[in-house]
Amino acid sequence: MQDLVLQGIVNGLILGAIYGLIGVGLNVIFGVLRVVNFAHGEFLVLGAYLALMLAQYAGLSPFWALPITFLVFCLIGYLLYFVLIPRLSKSNDPETSSLLLMFGVSIMLGAIMLLLFDADARSLEYEIEPVFLMLGNIILPTIRLITLAISIVIVALVAWLLYGTLTGKALRAIIMNRDAVRIVGIKTERLAAVAFALGIGLAGVTGVLTAMVFPSFSPFMGNDYTLIGFVVIVLGGLGNPVGALVGALLYAVTEQVASVFFNPSIGTICGFVLMVATIFVRPNGLFGKQVMR
Amino acid sequence: MRRVQIAAGFFLLLIAGFLLLPLFTSNTSFAFYLMLWIIMASAMNICVGFTGYLPFGYVVFYGVGAYATGICYKVLGLPILPSLLIAGLAGVAFAMILAPTLRLKGVYFGIVSLALATIVRLIIANLPSDLTGGSMGLILASSNNPTLSYYSMALVLIVTLACVLWLSVSSLGKALKAIRDDDGAAACVGINVPRTRLKAWLLAAVFPALAGGIEAWHTNVVDPEYAFHVLVTAKSIVYAMAGGFGTILGPVVGAMALLGIDHLIWQKFPLINLLLLGLVIVLLMLFLPRGIVGGLLHRYPQLRRYIA
Amino acid sequence: MLQIQGLKKQFGGLVALNGVSWHLPPKQILGVIGMNGSGKTTMLNCINGLYVPTAGKVLLHGKDITGWPVEQVAREGIGRTFQVPRVFPHMTLLDNLDVSQLHKGRTAEERYAVSVKWLEKVELYRLRHNMAEELSGGQQKLLELARIMVSQPKVVLLDEPFAGVNPGLAQLLISVIKTLPTEHDCSVVLVSHDLTSIYQLSNHIIVMNEGSILSQGSADVVKNDPAVIEAYLGA
Repeated sequence: MQDLVLQGIVNGLILGAIYGLIGVGLNVIFGVLRVVNFAHGEFLVLGAYLALMLAQYAGLSPFWALPITFLVFCLIGYLLYFVLIPRLSKSNDPETSSLLLMFGVSIMLGAIMLLLFDADARSLEYEIEPVFLMLGNIILPTIRLITLAISIVIVALVAWLLYGTLTGKALRAIIMNRDAVRIVGIKTERLAAVAFALGIGLAGVTGVLTAMVFPSFSPFMGNDYTLIGFVVIVLGGLGNPVGALVGALLYAVTEQVASVFFNPSIGTICGFVLMVATIFVRPNGLFGKQVMR
Repeated sequence: MRRVQIAAGFFLLLIAGFLLLPLFTSNTSFAFYLMLWIIMASAMNICVGFTGYLPFGYVVFYGVGAYATGICYKVLGLPILPSLLIAGLAGVAFAMILAPTLRLKGVYFGIVSLALATIVRLIIANLPSDLTGGSMGLILASSNNPTLSYYSMALVLIVTLACVLWLSVSSLGKALKAIRDDDGAAACVGINVPRTRLKAWLLAAVFPALAGGIEAWHTNVVDPEYAFHVLVTAKSIVYAMAGGFGTILGPVVGAMALLGIDHLIWQKFPLINLLLLGLVIVLLMLFLPRGIVGGLLHRYPQLRRYIA
Repeated sequence: MLQIQGLKKQFGGLVALNGVSWHLPPKQILGVIGMNGSGKTTMLNCINGLYVPTAGKVLLHGKDITGWPVEQVAREGIGRTFQVPRVFPHMTLLDNLDVSQLHKGRTAEERYAVSVKWLEKVELYRLRHNMAEELSGGQQKLLELARIMVSQPKVVLLDEPFAGVNPGLAQLLISVIKTLPTEHDCSVVLVSHDLTSIYQLSNHIIVMNEGSILSQGSADVVKNDPAVIEAYLGA
């Protein structure tokens, strides 16, 4: 039993890295743009499909798919920004409007994927030797270890981008105070587009990693991933990238350990309950800012 | 007052249309679902338009109503009408249970709401199947009565629209509007914001619960996939939004317009139905974010005297 | 009437309000002046419940209302306006005033009568069916004042009521504020940068600086206090 629990914890940590990536992507978009990207999960699944296509038609391994997907999706995100977002600022309630707008986009993407790829679940076939490593009695599938490593690298790169470059500094400044940034002369529109592109790029890359880790994917799984992403960033505190990672780890470990004792759907229940309980104790999430009444 | 009277007149005509329809045709399916979605959108509007909160887990009331009806009828053996009443009560009870979430801020509320609805869906999926029918759902075969269920839905529609009209002139309605405009300032003028929001919340929960129960009765099936499907929430929000939140006529107009379009599109292009639904949402948000009625009022504020 | 004792508010490491005490007798106007960041608005927020004080007490008629929720403080009789007016933009002027009286137990007719009376006082009666968002900034400030007065408060906290208001409307505001203690049995805490109005209206003035009271007294005392001149008024 103890081994199973440990296995659960390890699985949780590995999954937590992926969930964390979803959260970081969502947080970049929400933090900078105050846009609730309800379509994040669909972009993720689309990334998985791209990896599949690259493998099937170009014979490229998922490792090549990663940077390609990132670039392609960043471009898509950048262009999509100008189509979708600027009009939102005119509405009464930009946050709600963005939520609904991206919800519409999520339905469209799901439908497009359904038309292009059919409803059957697909999987990315990728073998690696050895298939798994053993740590004591714990099974560590090699693919998952690799994706964990890749996730860490990506998070580090994002952190470097946000904290080490001038662009990143500007992005963080926007999160803090958009108008002030404009006054100082930085072109917020361009930057916002970059943030959106980054978020979508991250979604795509997470999709590739997901395809590597999970047995299969289908056009309508996007919803589930979006939901997990939101649960994770709410748990960690909206707009806080570190919070997203911590939230993701907590969520994933809870979910996996609970699955050991019961079944996967109860695992999900436990993870969600953790989030709801946390919000009641700390209404702005674990690392969110305290606000005035 | 005039604008409320105009809205009331419009509703009377609409309801008369629904009531008389079965006399002329036996194909009442579209009308039945139109009534359902007007109810769902109007109740959603009570919640959003009056409290400013977007409940992403809204479908939970619909599902609870459907399951309560199914369980009462099939498992407990109660006749259908008391089962429906219990469904309504179950909706309110659930709203009470979820009431603490109203303390949360906007976006957090929406996401917690969605998470809670998912939890409920998963719990029901994990309950013993002699109670909830497991993944097959519950079949209510012997209760089937399309005419009676049609008129029941019409009755709920009447009550819903009456309630919406009442809210627009009552003190509760005004307090809610103030809260939606600025909840901090509302508190500063003595309005107990949480308690008032709760009233709107409870009110908004009754109607989807009843609608869910009647729909289950009408189709004979309580389907776990559909009863808690996020599309139910999505459509309620979109239809209300298409008309315009915060207006009385908005949800009705929005439901009629979009359901009509949906019906036409589905008939002509069944394959890309979903894609077009998403596209409509996107176009609405980009070009008509206040909805049809809301946009009209924004452009021509003088019309506010005639359109509620 | 209204008394604060040792009121303190801290945000993490920042002490916005550092132990402020004063006493406002009935039917008096207390003027509050001070640099931006001296803690004036924080003080008001602590009184009406928007902030919970870190330490200290707020007493209304001897009743301890420290840390009470905002709507309870409002119902107890403390009204408040804001630097940037927070009227209800999508409601008519009449409805804005109506909604403020809901907790008083009056009938609809009674509420209407009181609303009309105050709209006439602030000269906005002819716009009574307009949406509040259609008003100018100055008109919104007048509406905000009317909105608290219809509920017959005992104390009103006015946060920079003259900021951004044209002279004509400012005159009207001043004349209305003057009547609050005399005709409406209401004390006033008036925070403002407009020194002329403060000197004109206040019975007693306190000068705040960096979260504490720097000086207090009548207009003449304060005007001539060297500490005040150095910190705030300029040489």
